[in-house]
This record gives sequence, structure tokens and C-alpha cells, in this order.
Amino acid sequence: MKILTTMITSLTLILSLLVSVNVIATHFTFTAIPDENESQLRTRFEKVALYLEKELGVKVKYLPVKSYSAAVTAFRNNQVQLAWFGGLSGVQARILVPGSQAIAQGYEDQFFKSYFIAHHSTGLTINENFPDINDKTFTFGSKGSTSGRLMPQYFIEQHLAKKPQQAFKRVGFSGDHSRTIAQVQAGAYQVGAVNYKVWQSALSAGKIDTNKVSVIWETPTYPDYQWTIHANVDAEFGKGFANKVQAALLNMNTPELLSSFPRSSFINAENKDFEPILTVAKKIGLID
Amino acid sequence: MALLQNTVYPLGYWQKVTLSIWFIAVVIIPFADIEIVNFDPLLELSLMAQGLIHADFFATEYLFQAIIQTLNFAIIGVSLGLLIGAPLALIYQHPLVSGCCAFLRAIHEIFWALLFLQVFGLSPITGILAIAIPFAGTFARVFHDIINQSSDSPLESIDSRADIISRYTYGKIAQVLPQLITYTRYRFECALRSSAVLGFIGMPTLGYYLETAFKQGNYSEGAALLIIFIALIGTIRYWCPPKLLGIYLVVACITLVEIPTLDSSLLVRFISQDIIPPALVNTLSFADVQWSLLYTWFSDIITLQAIPGAISTLTLALLALAASHFVTLNAHAIASKHLWPGPLVYLGQFILLIGRSVPEYILAFIFLILLGPSMLPAILALAIHNGSVIAYLTVQQSNAIAPPLMQISTLNKFNYHIMPSIYPNMMALLFYRFEIIVRETAVFGILGIMTLGFYIDSNFSEIRYSNALILIMCTALLNVAIDHISMRLLNSHKQSLTT
Repeated sequence: MKILTTMITSLTLILSLLVSVNVIATHFTFTAIPDENESQLRTRFEKVALYLEKELGVKVKYLPVKSYSAAVTAFRNNQVQLAWFGGLSGVQARILVPGSQAIAQGYEDQFFKSYFIAHHSTGLTINENFPDINDKTFTFGSKGSTSGRLMPQYFIEQHLAKKPQQAFKRVGFSGDHSRTIAQVQAGAYQVGAVNYKVWQSALSAGKIDTNKVSVIWETPTYPDYQWTIHANVDAEFGKGFANKVQAALLNMNTPELLSSFPRSSFINAENKDFEPILTVAKKIGLID
Repeated sequence: MALLQNTVYPLGYWQKVTLSIWFIAVVIIPFADIEIVNFDPLLELSLMAQGLIHADFFATEYLFQAIIQTLNFAIIGVSLGLLIGAPLALIYQHPLVSGCCAFLRAIHEIFWALLFLQVFGLSPITGILAIAIPFAGTFARVFHDIINQSSDSPLESIDSRADIISRYTYGKIAQVLPQLITYTRYRFECALRSSAVLGFIGMPTLGYYLETAFKQGNYSEGAALLIIFIALIGTIRYWCPPKLLGIYLVVACITLVEIPTLDSSLLVRFISQDIIPPALVNTLSFADVQWSLLYTWFSDIITLQAIPGAISTLTLALLALAASHFVTLNAHAIASKHLWPGPLVYLGQFILLIGRSVPEYILAFIFLILLGPSMLPAILALAIHNGSVIAYLTVQQSNAIAPPLMQISTLNKFNYHIMPSIYPNMMALLFYRFEIIVRETAVFGILGIMTLGFYIDSNFSEIRYSNALILIMCTALLNVAIDHISMRLLNSHKQSLTT
């Protein structure tokens, strides 16, 4: 009988739970995945939320997400109306939500680049030309990353005229730039591709032994991270709201807030700035 | 000649099964990718060790919330799973019901969550359903097995005028209630692990911070989270007596993170657009369908992703099965009170606790640094985890056996008396875990080992839900087939015993 009572109680509770979901008020919600240092993410970005709240005059909430694809899903479902996307995830999101706009990018994101790094045992050293990495083992970062996957794969296919699976002895996805560095440094993979900013900060933090792993090539530059705003914010939060958000982002100049991304400042951006990313994504078959 | 033949002892059933497991493993090893690539693992390993020594319990923000949400998802998930699964147990003999249940539990929690994420967004509903649905399938099956083992004799003493529900409740269920409760408690432990693992894809549980910490090399934070998680699982029986479960459920519902507004249009969009094959998206009638496009799409998924994925999933699972068998035997031995004096038994049980509590993902992560990227880290992680779970369950049973009063050495007593009596159960658990091993290979896909889970994860990150769904279906069918085979193996033995 006890089990039966428990069951009935739980049923009622769960039903009441499902009924009571509609009472939560709408906030202006944003999400952001920085390209490095995800510790204390909520604490840091709640400060950004406070700043936006002050500038915009509406309640602003930060929603932590785990991956670019989760950020795209949340944006598409209108669970977040503003997102700090990587180059690729921004393009994906704007295709899924027609009318959404890239409104700002980091100063550094106009000319972003990736480093190819190699374990010392490969004998590869820094060179202006694309390195001979045929038949090596190679690791990308996360599957949806622009600097850790999309652009490196594009340059590999351009120079080696082969898909990575054919060009390399083994292809991995480490999941994160710091993982890529750690795995190449440990020799688990011979070569890897990494976001140049993550490499630089790991280097200055003393996490890299340059006798073991070093940069062997740097890619040409490409546009990367940007703020993208949802198509119907003006309808939801009032006319001109998207412009207000853009102004608030461009005026964000407190080093403490900017260091969460980490960018030196935000500058103007529009959808067409990211067309190279779309072209590349189509070329390597990540977008149909 | 006849005399000679009599002295040849035929192999026992379980010996044959054991040898088959190892034979299969040895045959597939040459085809498996188990290369060891390791140059300088020491730097990263020493960082990990330092992290463990300097475990930082204050590095994680909102730690208390994360613990509470891990518990909440587990409690509500198990309750809901029980609510759906327990009634299904009563009609489980129907092939349609057992087939559906096998299908539900064949899909890993992570994939359920990735699917629900599209419909409910980052909401507790996603996490709770991702636990409740596969758990319902498992409860239905195991409760059915347990109830089936109960005897029919109490039924005879019940007044024949009693209604069917009373007859069933008091005649059948009452006698196995303790087993049902014990099993439910064990599943609660599993739910805690699942709840934590759901953090890897964004649920606000301990796994959320655990994955970030390990991924970004913040080992002192990661170690602290692991310690908290192991302590939570190791002390379940102290803080969660079955009596309090009802109260915990109420508390869990109250303290759950807020649920964002449900949007039914998302469900409509998911069913009518997202999961529709690209060739069918813009077709209005049957006549518009470009069958050749649909065919190329489908055959590409099957030949380029499903089949290679299934082959490495099976290779990984079969090798992990043999390795789990090895770990089980050893882990059972180190925690057996028949072999060791009291304090050492506690140490052994502590090792089992760690082995079964540390998520496979983290184990594989550490082995990846140590051994390089191949299937080996995943095999070891699966073997340690599943071996420890089986050893934990069998050691409870073997420690309850009275030691024989024979004048033989401890080791002989153990091998001659204890092992034979628990071995069939150990193997039954191993077969049952095989289904789970196949499911768990999914997690390694996310870590980059090319199982079916890898391709599913890729399709989710490329926003190709229709492809992902096809692959999830393939995974589920593979699991249903494996479940069917292992059930038949076990049943054929039971029948050969009774006849």
C-alpha cells in the first residue's frame, strides 16, 4: 500500500509541476561560451547581465550552456534572445532563425587565426608554408568550433587535397582547445589545431612546455566570434530594442566585463561579415 | 577406451560461456584499434595528481545548487520511471510490451536528453524524462523477472472471491516487496550517476562542472567534485532510507530549478521539420518525393556512419565484456570477507565504490592521456566501471554465504566453495551489463572514439536531427538484438537445468 501512496503522491506532484510552468515571467536572456577559461562562468556572466540590465532597462538573465550546438538550440527555441557565438555556430543559428542579426564582434575577431601545433618527436618546426603532416595523427578541438575545427579542416583540405580522414593516420576531436594542447603535449596526437588566443594565454600561464610542443604553422585570418540577436526582439521588447542592445555591447568598456569573453572591445558587425565562414562550412560539408 | 572416455570431464555450461567470451575477444583483438601511443604523459599526470592532493572544494560556483539538482533529477527521474515501469512489469510477458521496453532502455540517457533538448530546451523536464524513460523500461523488465520468481502458493490461501488486484498485491507482490525495494534503491544509485552524466550536455548537475573542470585542466576543482560525487554515492544508505523517499520527492519538486515556458510549437516543429529527411522537407504530396535522393541520403547514413559505427561499437563492447569479466573476478576477490580480514575488506569495498562511482567518461579521459587515443582507454574505463558494479553486487551475495567448515586453505575454500555458488549469478549480471556496456559506448563517442555515439553526437552538432534520429534508431535496434540474444543464452541455460 505504501508504494501505492507514494506513487499517487508523486503522480500528483509531477502533474502539478507540469501545470505550473507557465507562470514564469519572460526575461531578456543571453548565453555565451568564452573560448577559454570556463571556470566561474555564471558568476562572471551574471555581472555582464547586470550591466545589460542597467543599460536596457529590462530584466536580463544569463543561461549557461555546455556546447555551441546547445547554444544554437537555445537560440532557435527563443530560450535565449542574444548569444555570443563562434563563427560557425553564429552562421548556423542565423540560418535557423531567419531575420536574426550579427550586431557586434570582438575587436580581435575581425582577424582571428588558428595555430597548428606539433609534438617535438615529429621534428616539425615553424614554417611559413603549410607543413607536411600527411599520415600524422591529428586532433581538432570541439566538433562545432570555428578555430578548432572548421577553418583548420578547410586549410587541410585545401593544401593536402584530401579529407582529414584520408590525409591522417588518425583524426580526433579533443572537445576543447586546452585538451588539444594537453594531448599534443603528451604526444597522444602528433599534430593539432588550436585557437591562437587560447595558445597564447596557456603559454603565458606557464602551462606549455615549448620543448615538447610548439606552433608549426598559423592559418590566414578569418572572422570568428560575434554577438547575434534574435529576429523578434523588437516585437517582444519594444521597437529599437536590437539597436539598444547593440549600443550597450559596443559601449561595454569595463576591463572586468570584457575579460570574461576575453576581448579587448566590441565593434560593429553585420551578417555579411561572416559570409566567408558560411562558404567554408559549405565547402567542407558541415552545412548543406 | 570406454574407461578413458569416462575420465574426460565435460566443460560446465558457465565454463563454456566464459571461454566463449574470451575466445571472441582474442579473435577480434587483431582487428581492434588498441595501439598505445604515449610519449610524455607524465606532465599531465603529475598535474592530475597535484589536483587530487590539492582538491579545491571552493573552486566551483553554485556547488550546493549543483548537488541539490543532481539529487532532484535522480529522485524525480526514478519516481517517474517507477510510476511508468512498475505497471508495465505486470504485462511485460506481452512481446509488444517487452519489445517497447527494450527499445526505451536501449537509448542512452544522453541521447534521450539531446532529443528532448530540441523540444523542451534546457529545462529540468529534459533531464527528468531522459532518466525516467529508460529507467521505466529497466524497471518493467527487472520487476517482471523478480515477480515471476515469486511462488504461487500464497495465491491459494487467498479467498477466491477477492478481486484480481488484491489477489495480485497480497499473493504475489507482497512476498517479493523487499527485493523490489532493494532493486529500486540500487537504481537510485544508477540514477544519481545518470543525473551527473547529463551535466556533460548542459543539465545543471555536478557533471556540468565536472566535465568543464577536467576538460579545461582544472584538476583541483575536478578532484573535489569527484570526491563529493563518490561520497554522495557511498553514503546513499545513510541519507536515503526508502521511508524518506516520499519526503525527498516532495522536497525535490519544490527545489527544482525553474522550468521555462513550454512551447508546443517546438514539438510540432521537431516532428514536422527537424526529423524529416532533407529530401522530404519541401514535398507536399507522395508524388513529389524524389526517391533517388531519399535513397542516397539513407544509404549514405547507413554505409558511412551506421555500419562503421556499429562495428566499432560492437568491437569495443565485446572487448570490454571480456575485460569486465577479468575486473569482476579480481574486484570481487579483493572485497571478499572470505579472503581478507575485516579492515582489508573495507578497503576492498572502498575500491569498488570508487570504481563504480567515477563516471566512465572521467576514467577514459585519464586513460586517454596515459595510453593515447585508441579504443584502449574506453575498454579500460568500461571494464573498471562495470566490473566494479558486478563485483559490488556479487560480493554482497558471497559475503552472506557461511564459510565451509573444512580444513582447507582460505584460497581453496574461496575457489572451491564460494566461487561456484556465486558464479552463475555473476555471469548473469555480466550478460545483463553487456546491454549496458553497449549503451555506455555512446559516452565515448562524445569523447571522440568512433562508436555510433560519435556519429550521433556529430549529427547533433551539425544540426542534422533526421540523421541523428536514424542513427539512434540503429543503436536501439542493435541493443534490442543484443538483449534478445543474451536473454536467450540465459534462458536456454535455465531450461536445460529444469529439464
